[in-house]
Amino acid sequence: VAKAFEATSVTWPDTADARAEGRSLLAQWRPVLCPVLTCIAYYLGSQIGFALTFRPHPVSVLWPANSILLAALLLTPIRGWGAVLLGAFPAHCLVQLQTHIPIGMMLCYFVSNSCEAVIGAGCIRHFLAGPVRFDSLRSTSIFCLYGGLLAPFLSSFLDAGFVQLNHWGAGTYWELWRIRFSSNVLSALTFAPAVLTWFASPLLNGRSWRRKEFFEAILLFFGLAATTYATFYKVGPSPNPTLFLAPLPFLLWAALRLGPRGTTNAILTVTFLAIWSAAHGHGPFTADTPEQNARSLQMFLIVMAIPFLFLAAGIEERAAAEERFTNAFRASPDPISITRVRDAIVLDVNERWLAMFRYDRAEVIGRSLFDLKFYSSPEDRARLIGLTAGDGALRDFESSVRDKNGTSLCVELSGVRADVGGEPCLIITTRDITDRKRAEEADLNLVHAARLAALGQLSASIAHEINQPLGAILSNADAAEMLLESDSPPLDELRKIVADIRSDDIRASETIGHIRMLTRKRTTQLNPVNLHDLIMDVVRLVAPDARQRRVSLEMALTAPQCTVLGDRVQLQQAVMNLILNGMESMAETAATGRDLVVRTVEKSPEQIEIAVSDLGRGIPPDKISRLFESFFTTKENGVGLGLAVVRSIVDAHHGSISAENNPGGGATFRLVLPLVTTESSSP
Amino acid sequence: VINPAPDQQVVHLVDDDESFRKAASRLLSAAGYEVRSYRSAGDFALASHDVNRRGCLLLDVRMPGPSGLDLQESLAKEDGSLPIIFLTAHADVPSSVRAMKGGAVDFLTKPVKRDVLLNAVRTALARASQLQTTHAHRVELRERVERLTVREREVFQLVVAGRLNKQIAAELGMAERTVKAHRAQVMHKMEATSVAELVHLADELHSEQA
Repeated sequence: VAKAFEATSVTWPDTADARAEGRSLLAQWRPVLCPVLTCIAYYLGSQIGFALTFRPHPVSVLWPANSILLAALLLTPIRGWGAVLLGAFPAHCLVQLQTHIPIGMMLCYFVSNSCEAVIGAGCIRHFLAGPVRFDSLRSTSIFCLYGGLLAPFLSSFLDAGFVQLNHWGAGTYWELWRIRFSSNVLSALTFAPAVLTWFASPLLNGRSWRRKEFFEAILLFFGLAATTYATFYKVGPSPNPTLFLAPLPFLLWAALRLGPRGTTNAILTVTFLAIWSAAHGHGPFTADTPEQNARSLQMFLIVMAIPFLFLAAGIEERAAAEERFTNAFRASPDPISITRVRDAIVLDVNERWLAMFRYDRAEVIGRSLFDLKFYSSPEDRARLIGLTAGDGALRDFESSVRDKNGTSLCVELSGVRADVGGEPCLIITTRDITDRKRAEEADLNLVHAARLAALGQLSASIAHEINQPLGAILSNADAAEMLLESDSPPLDELRKIVADIRSDDIRASETIGHIRMLTRKRTTQLNPVNLHDLIMDVVRLVAPDARQRRVSLEMALTAPQCTVLGDRVQLQQAVMNLILNGMESMAETAATGRDLVVRTVEKSPEQIEIAVSDLGRGIPPDKISRLFESFFTTKENGVGLGLAVVRSIVDAHHGSISAENNPGGGATFRLVLPLVTTESSSP
Repeated sequence: VINPAPDQQVVHLVDDDESFRKAASRLLSAAGYEVRSYRSAGDFALASHDVNRRGCLLLDVRMPGPSGLDLQESLAKEDGSLPIIFLTAHADVPSSVRAMKGGAVDFLTKPVKRDVLLNAVRTALARASQLQTTHAHRVELRERVERLTVREREVFQLVVAGRLNKQIAAELGMAERTVKAHRAQVMHKMEATSVAELVHLADELHSEQA
């Protein structure tokens, strides 16, 4: 039966291993094949059912035909269900005619059988995407609940009703219902899973069974068959109850080693042999009336089948999860290590890890990371363990580690804590960020270099700004000295001098502070920054330069909100570069028209725009697109870093920058930055 | 007081930095000078125009409006009698060259040592007084020349050119005796006691005109 059905299994992508030619042939013949195969299987199933009937009781203990129909529907797309049912109909008629039942009853039986299959398959299809595979607790639960219980439960009402209606069977309505129900549940739980698992994975394509497994299966089934035969055939009517447990080790074996397919078939084997024995008057289930015997046997088999179905599914699920993990572990492009929390002993590492750290597997497995001098600073390990202690997960922990040769690598470690073999372990993914670090360093140097270049441009202004107060201080001190040498030193005047010296000193140190902020090499530190204050600071700093260049600086800081999250010094640098750039571009402009305007406007409720407009020579239109690249310049003696730096600063602040020529001459640079919303603006 | 000035000599201070202006004023005052300070070149031009520009000028280079160098240029066009000391917070080569070519006494950078500053001021004031003396002498000479009649000036020029009385009489078409009278008048009016002195005065006048 299973072999016959294999041919129709092309319905699901999982069975797509079928050879392409076979597929096309099958696809061509499927509309015919499905009903024909269903017909044959249904007929055979019915014959088996008859064979397992307890005489003289007319109801079969196991009625495989219904579960074959259920399986057939589950293996067919819904649009093919009509054809499947149509295929089953002749088989049904053929079978039932042998029993000389009335035509009406025969049709009624078909209706109730079809109902059961359609209800079961419909519900399962509704709740489960994809085929029923008995490899997860979820799919097994859904199958047992809807196919194994609900469908027989509902259809049995119909069935019993039909029997009563046709005055066919003996017994009360509820008796009939019960007999039907238990027989259908049993066949649904034993027969259908066996059929379905044969289709779930493509055995006949020869890939999935290794030779060892195959022999194991053969051995198991012979053992099971022999035990079951001994228990249910050879033993007398009232045996020692522990004998019923005899097949269980084999079922456990199947569940543990052979997966859902082995388990369902083992269950089916036990079921078949037990019923067959009882039907032939052998074994423990022959002591009472046939009804009693049938009921006891059915209960025994149902109670046995369900736990093993779930056990196999659970084990399969675990195995699949483990396999997924193992595959991910092996195939991961990132190096992964599994180490014990307790002593940093390496339990396993993947190939990438070995490649990255230049070890052979034998050199690391079973050894402690500390012995390998893996961490540049061993306290990193303790921090890792501390960080994974809470919810057990850690992301992007920067650390410095060493490979076998002792070469330092900058890495980002991400990981979880998990129990492996009952021992708390760290599963750590390593990402090499040495290159990224270097690039960041280079960026930092670029910013620094450009800042120094800007500083060079400004050095005249800076010298001026510092020497001014220093000059005043020296002259004040000289004056004071001279006044003190007089006969009656003017104390009031001397006090004023001292006060002036102090304020000039503060002025000088403030100027130095500004310069230090400019030259210090720093990483981005994000703080709420008032852009208007910042712009005014920059303007104060460039004012002497502007005076010398005879540029008039105008401010129109009109944005209602001006707090952004950013690095004060970097943003100053960006604004300063734009202003210096604008001033430089006006070198050839007539002295009366050297106006530089700095504006801020609300670009959107979340964004502020800073526009720096000059009346200079503008940007050659073909150069606008390249303006923000490093080392690109339109100036004769520029190095082409200023705007690139602005760009990198703006990028770091999640902003944007654009440039355009003004209609009336000159250019405007627009810098858009995200505003800090009011809730978060308080530091 | 280290440098007591005999009569309060004036130092004009032009600088846009208020605190430096104050400090330098104090120092120069303590040194006995009369200091007049101005915020910009424009202020100086307005306040001191035509007032007797005595003393010297202590001038910042970089200022809003006209720079110190601009002011130096425009003063040179007027009469150039005011010695200038430049004092800047940032000295660059082009501006110092331009300043010295323009006749500046010195080009100093802030912070400036007291002795350096006061020496420069002294030098400038000395030059100022020297200029003042020369200037007064020239004015005096010019006044003497003014007193000569047209004829006497002609005679004066020819005498200085080394002509004899007879030649002058022939050239100007007058009697030799008349020439002698004019000549005595010239000597008297020019306050010269000899022909050699007269030639010297003529040279001085000549050099001034050139």
